[in-house]
Amino acid sequence: MTHSVAIIGAGFAGIGAAIRLQDKGIDDYVVFERDTRVGGTWRDNTYPGAACDIPSRLYSYSFAPNPEWSHTYSGSAEILGYIDGMVESSGVAPHIRFEHTVTGVVYDADAGEWTISFEGREPERARAVIIASGPLANCSFPAIRGIEDYEGHKIHSARWDHDYDFTGKKVAVVGTGASGVQIVPELVQQAASVKVFQRTPGWVLPRINTETGEFTKSIYRRIPGAQQLARALWFWGHESVALGVVWNTPLTRVVEAVSKLHLRLQVRDPWLRRQLTPDFAAGCKRLLMTSDYYPALQRENCTLVTWPIARIAPKGIRTVEGVEHQFDCIVFATGFDVSKTGSPIPVTGLDGRVLADEWSGGAYAYRSVAVSGYPNLYVTFGPNSGPGHSSALVYMEAQIDYITDAIGQLLRNGWKALDVRADVQEEYNRGIQRRLTATTWNSGCSSWYLTDDGFNATMYPGFASQYVGQLRTVDLQDYRILVHEEADAAAVAAG
Amino acid sequence: MAMDLDNMLQMIKDRQWALADIDWDAPGAELIDPELHAKLKPFLSDLMWIENVGARGFAAMARKAPTPTLKSIYEHFHAEEQKHANAELALMRRWGMLEGDEIPSPNVNVQLVINWLDQYSDGMSLSFLGTVIPMLEVALDGALLKFITDEVKDPIAQEVFKRINADESRHLAVDFEVMDMLGHADLRKRTIDFVGGWIKPSLLIGTLSYVPLLNKMRDNIVAMGVDEERLYGAIKRYKSVGERSEYVRRLPMYRVVSRHGGWVVNRSNTLYHFPVDTLVKVTSLIPFPLVHRTPAWSQELTYEPTA
Repeated sequence: MTHSVAIIGAGFAGIGAAIRLQDKGIDDYVVFERDTRVGGTWRDNTYPGAACDIPSRLYSYSFAPNPEWSHTYSGSAEILGYIDGMVESSGVAPHIRFEHTVTGVVYDADAGEWTISFEGREPERARAVIIASGPLANCSFPAIRGIEDYEGHKIHSARWDHDYDFTGKKVAVVGTGASGVQIVPELVQQAASVKVFQRTPGWVLPRINTETGEFTKSIYRRIPGAQQLARALWFWGHESVALGVVWNTPLTRVVEAVSKLHLRLQVRDPWLRRQLTPDFAAGCKRLLMTSDYYPALQRENCTLVTWPIARIAPKGIRTVEGVEHQFDCIVFATGFDVSKTGSPIPVTGLDGRVLADEWSGGAYAYRSVAVSGYPNLYVTFGPNSGPGHSSALVYMEAQIDYITDAIGQLLRNGWKALDVRADVQEEYNRGIQRRLTATTWNSGCSSWYLTDDGFNATMYPGFASQYVGQLRTVDLQDYRILVHEEADAAAVAAG
Repeated sequence: MAMDLDNMLQMIKDRQWALADIDWDAPGAELIDPELHAKLKPFLSDLMWIENVGARGFAAMARKAPTPTLKSIYEHFHAEEQKHANAELALMRRWGMLEGDEIPSPNVNVQLVINWLDQYSDGMSLSFLGTVIPMLEVALDGALLKFITDEVKDPIAQEVFKRINADESRHLAVDFEVMDMLGHADLRKRTIDFVGGWIKPSLLIGTLSYVPLLNKMRDNIVAMGVDEERLYGAIKRYKSVGERSEYVRRLPMYRVVSRHGGWVVNRSNTLYHFPVDTLVKVTSLIPFPLVHRTPAWSQELTYEPTA
């Protein structure tokens, strides 16, 4: 049996795509999920303090508004609850196949179908495939010399060990990115001592997280349009920030000044302030939003270590100043294995072309969602779709609306395939790379946004409204439309 | 041929050692001559603080590094200088020179340099820091280390100094490579850098801290009963290595530091030595608490191999 659509991944994007397919009357779809529950990143990231640094009103789908958000910024459990709620209310649950680990997809050009293979299961076929596995799905311990020799407990932030009791323990936290700055304030309250190993400090902005009162919630529940208005206000607020965060402009200096003032107000010691002051343009790496991190670092039981790590020894971490810092547990808040080169899963397209080979120097796509030579295959959060200043969900919603529109046209019209034109794709990417040169991400720091060669395959160089605008309509002239041979013959006969 | 800095960074990472690699309780401490033992503490203490000063210098240079590789190299050098200071402190402890958890204080001249670095080093350009720090490394670090290596028979000390010397040889190789790189800049840039640096009052204060330090260390060496020519040999080395590259010679600040080195080694240059020796005497009269500052970066020394 051939499904109309196969969605790979039951995280935010996969569930959103399923709901939008249903909304458009496409019920013959299936969602393949390797885990035993939905939620993706928010299922995996349950470390203490895990939260989103974008306001929930904006970090949610506009087609699934939630008047019940408890705070301006939500924690991971509440976000996961939101995803569960969507699954429950939308009726997508029966379509989800858990414990289906996709090992590859291969296009059958004759049939115009994709074959999806799995680990330990029979393959299945689908007309269209949506790869919604997301960039923040895989993680591993960092390749630090000697890590395999460490005899204490190791925890990765994205695979938290909830059974480990930190009480009275000597703990190291390696990494001071988005996860690290959320974990440290929680750990210092439990552990005997915490040493935070920092390679590069990030720009930190204060985060004021207020509780949403019952009265406000009731307004959202009762007054039509109130939630949309709040979302719009947050959206345009974030759009204005793009001027300083996406592009390296005089406003970037304003963002830096606000961050420096925040640092000045929270940290008294000049050397510690120097250690915490970044030397790259704000926005070049992801901005960190927290008011709790600096105070946590200055607690009696917490130390910031900025010496480079020489190696990990059986009992702890040796830094280049010659000291072995010994621990009961090392927490690696070192982020994800983001696929910027190669493909998230093996994909074989028209004429046996392999996506990983084509993307070996850096990924690219047409409007971030489709790749020429891979008909009816779409990706969410694909190349150059990352927002630096706004909600990933705004971008994701635009992607899934576009993708489900394109698939709807394919199925309604009985076409065999929609394959984006190579020349259109090339022109699009030339424009993207040209525009990226003026952005903060390409202003000289090394970050997970860039490949080792400095190619930016991750971020979208523009406003969220521009990104959403380009995905509003499926421009069929940008595609090759392939029809089935019988239909072709019928068309010729009719002609 | 230009050095491959990526290879150099890899080598630095591959050659890392830790205090825990050394058996600080191994026999041999008793081999130090009692007379030498008495003089060694202030000498080692100065050496340790000069390493710490070098560390801070590299921290400032890391901020100015034009490439991520050089930045990472300087960050490693910053930490390695700290490691050398830690190891020297550990030796003092091994030799029973420390009372409890004591960290000996720097002398007034080193303290003045600490104060200057703390306030101004981050504002200095790479062409200034990159020419002065190598002189401190060659002249003070190098000469003092060489002296101790020759005089102290303790095998553990020998092992430590061997490791430190190996690190320092990489530091110097990079130092001179960077000077060569800076010398490739066009005349306009070199002139602007030079003039721009010297019109800052902070540099004058820095010079007034740096100049007496060299003479003070010479006096200390003489007080130890050592031929001052050893120090002069090291200072001359700065010039002789620098002279090998026409691009290093093109750097105005290298010329200044090198010329100044020439005055230091020439004892008969009374025009230089009279005022500077007077400055050493004057600074020695400064009550230490008056200049004693303890920036957090100078409070991180430890003799403990593990923490």
